[in-house]
Amino acid sequence: MRQPDGIALTGVSKTFTGRGKVVEALREVTLACPPGSFTSIIGPSGCGKSTVMRIALGLETADAGEVRVAGQRSLEAARQGITGVAFQDAALLPWRSVRRNVEVPLEVLGRTPRAEAAQVQAMIDLVGLKGYENSLPGELSGGMRQRVAIARALVTHPQVLFMDEPFGALDQILRRQMNVELQRIWADTGSTALLVTHGIDEAVFLSDRVVVMHANPGRIAGVIDVPFDRPRQPPLFSDPAFHKVCDRVAEALHGN
Amino acid sequence: MATDAIRRHAVWQSTGLRNALILLALWEIIGQLGLVAGGALPPPSDILIRLWQDRGDYPNHIGATLYASVMGFLIGNAVAIAAGVAFALSPALLRLFRGINIAAFALPPIAIAPILALTMSGMAPRITLAALGVYFVTMTATVIGLSQADSRAEDVVRAYGGSRWTVLRLVQFRGAVPSILAGLRIAAPNAVLGAILAEFGGGGRWGLGTYLLGSLGRGEPDRLWGIGLIATLIAGLSYAGFALLSRRLLGATKAVTLNTAVPTGGTASTCLSARVRMALATVLLPFALWWALIKLSGAPAMIAKTPGDVFEYLFLSQGAAAAQARLLAALAETLPITFIGMAAGLAFAFLLAILSRLMPRFIEAFMPVALITQTMPLVALTPLLVLILGRGPSLTLWITISVTFFPAFVTLAQGIALVPKSAEDLPRAYGASRWTEMRMVTIPASLPYLFAATRLTVPRALLGVMIAEWLATGRGLGNLLNQSRGYLDYGMIWSVAAVSVILSVVFYQLVVVAERQVLARLGMATPE
Ligand SMILES: Nc1ncnc2c1ncn2[C@@H]1O[C@H](COP(=O)(O)OP(=O)(O)OP(=O)(O)O)[C@@H](O)[C@H]1O
Ligand SMILES: [Mg+2]
Repeated sequence: MRQPDGIALTGVSKTFTGRGKVVEALREVTLACPPGSFTSIIGPSGCGKSTVMRIALGLETADAGEVRVAGQRSLEAARQGITGVAFQDAALLPWRSVRRNVEVPLEVLGRTPRAEAAQVQAMIDLVGLKGYENSLPGELSGGMRQRVAIARALVTHPQVLFMDEPFGALDQILRRQMNVELQRIWADTGSTALLVTHGIDEAVFLSDRVVVMHANPGRIAGVIDVPFDRPRQPPLFSDPAFHKVCDRVAEALHGN
Repeated sequence: MATDAIRRHAVWQSTGLRNALILLALWEIIGQLGLVAGGALPPPSDILIRLWQDRGDYPNHIGATLYASVMGFLIGNAVAIAAGVAFALSPALLRLFRGINIAAFALPPIAIAPILALTMSGMAPRITLAALGVYFVTMTATVIGLSQADSRAEDVVRAYGGSRWTVLRLVQFRGAVPSILAGLRIAAPNAVLGAILAEFGGGGRWGLGTYLLGSLGRGEPDRLWGIGLIATLIAGLSYAGFALLSRRLLGATKAVTLNTAVPTGGTASTCLSARVRMALATVLLPFALWWALIKLSGAPAMIAKTPGDVFEYLFLSQGAAAAQARLLAALAETLPITFIGMAAGLAFAFLLAILSRLMPRFIEAFMPVALITQTMPLVALTPLLVLILGRGPSLTLWITISVTFFPAFVTLAQGIALVPKSAEDLPRAYGASRWTEMRMVTIPASLPYLFAATRLTVPRALLGVMIAEWLATGRGLGNLLNQSRGYLDYGMIWSVAAVSVILSVVFYQLVVVAERQVLARLGMATPE
């Protein structure tokens, strides 16, 4: 039997009404991410990328259309620990230390963080925050806070991983490093990944497919396949073929 | 850095001590010379000597007041926090109980003290009044704290399938702690005030209120001041205890970015008939509760009046016209001064809360004085003010200002302290002056708290005026209540209580409507 798609959105529309203003955030968005695939969404600010993700996560209900995560309804998938998520905003609990913030998903899912201490530590090490385990978010830099959010997203070994500009506040070098690490983790876990990003090179480097969105109303303007073999290595960033794909994404972004 | 802070603190303490000593010396001289109102302000040395002479009386009086305050504080807060959690979980429940909540808050303790003394026995009336003084403040603080939690952090928990309860447990409870502590800080002196007011309203041999009342007629300023100081000390210490606790718990745990998400919760049902039904239920529930309590208490119908009895007294009975006339005349005296006092107290609090951010030094010097005068329980304060200010309208005004100022200032200062660091960093990064930063970030961000302070203030202003009228000026609603007590006119006692509660609720509701309009336009949450 065929495995269900990791993420499947069919004909999803969403309109926000607030303070006398009506925003058509999404119109007829259809997107299917095969299991184990890596998909990036790229688009101008305000085109509805975060909204797509929030609907897929079940945090927002769509006005029309259907949403499936690993063949189930979003919240059911979430309750089984299938999904992992890193938001645009680190959204850390200010009174919890780094370690205790990373443990939040485990606690929500009713697992005992004590039993998975090794995994928690491994994720903290992975994002380069060894030695900061007991620091409070207020004592960290913006980039460090985002790395905590990434560690938190990965700690449950999610089958489906949602990331909304998780590397937004990182420097270029660290960002590349994290891209390579993310690719490794994703390949190791065989998870389905959906990444929202503003970085064309990051999207192309990581993804099997890049989904380009346009605004007003938010919609999918095109999907570009990325053919490179895996695992991809950092030298790929300077490969002419790589730049060609990047150019195609940029063209799709600018429309016509 | 750290040593610098410690040194500054030490310097502040020593200058504070110096200022206090200068003040004491001045007071001693003025008192010895009998400069204020012919000896109404005795020198501290006389007060201390009198305290020492009376030392045998105090333990029992203090013990009785403390017992009622602590019991009322514990019971009231337990109920308040449980209710706050229930309300945060169910906005429908919050709407349904709105009438009861406001009524519980707005009912002037001075009005129901005689009623409680008639229908209950032993310590029960005192504990009840102390608990009532605590309930609304803590309940509101709990709901505000829980509902203003960071919605982004809530999203993280919900994204992992966290239930409503998990969100509450992981994000909201801990996030609500500063707010709840601020509530408890106001509630603690309230409990003491409630207990003293109840003692004052009747019954019992021991208690500072009883002691005060017994000493009031004898014209012994030094004893009155002694009792007032002791009551203030108890209330002030209870406040300081919670202030210290919240300072230790707050600190590095301030949220690091401003949450800009527009809150979606709390939208009332869209169907008109459902809304009307809810509104009706909200209004009727307090009356139903009133009726049920009377029936359950089994108190004699002569004393314990139901809503129906009060309606009959005011509109159907033989003396209805006369009763209405007396009530209206009293209202005409009470209402104007209530509004003036409230506006002045609120303006003063807002100004000072803003100054506390602009001029921390000034506030450090002023704060101890404000705390001492403001935690002074009202009843203890009033006789002293009568001695100094006489029995005219200026007395009423000052009492009203002082009762509204304290809670308003604490609420506002708390709101301003909660403004996130990054929000203030932004204008500062563009070289904004302290004032620009204030205008652009601090004042708008503290608007919800200004409204919350106004809502807290409305019924307090009425209470302050009524106490002054009862004790001193012999005018208005407070006087009517006191007179009716003397004439055993139970119908009028209940009518005054009902009218003052209903008035408070109506004014409160007006503030809420204004608040909704303004905050909705600014995209801010309305803390319940
Ligand atoms: N809760 C909401 N209420 C009203 N409008 C909203 C809400 N959330 C999003 N919108 C609107 O929907 C549109 C899409 O928002 P969304 O956050 O999905 O954009 P985005 O593509 O993620 O942008 P960015 O790249 O800046 O993060 C925007 O126009 C935004 O104003
Ligand atoms: Mg976004």
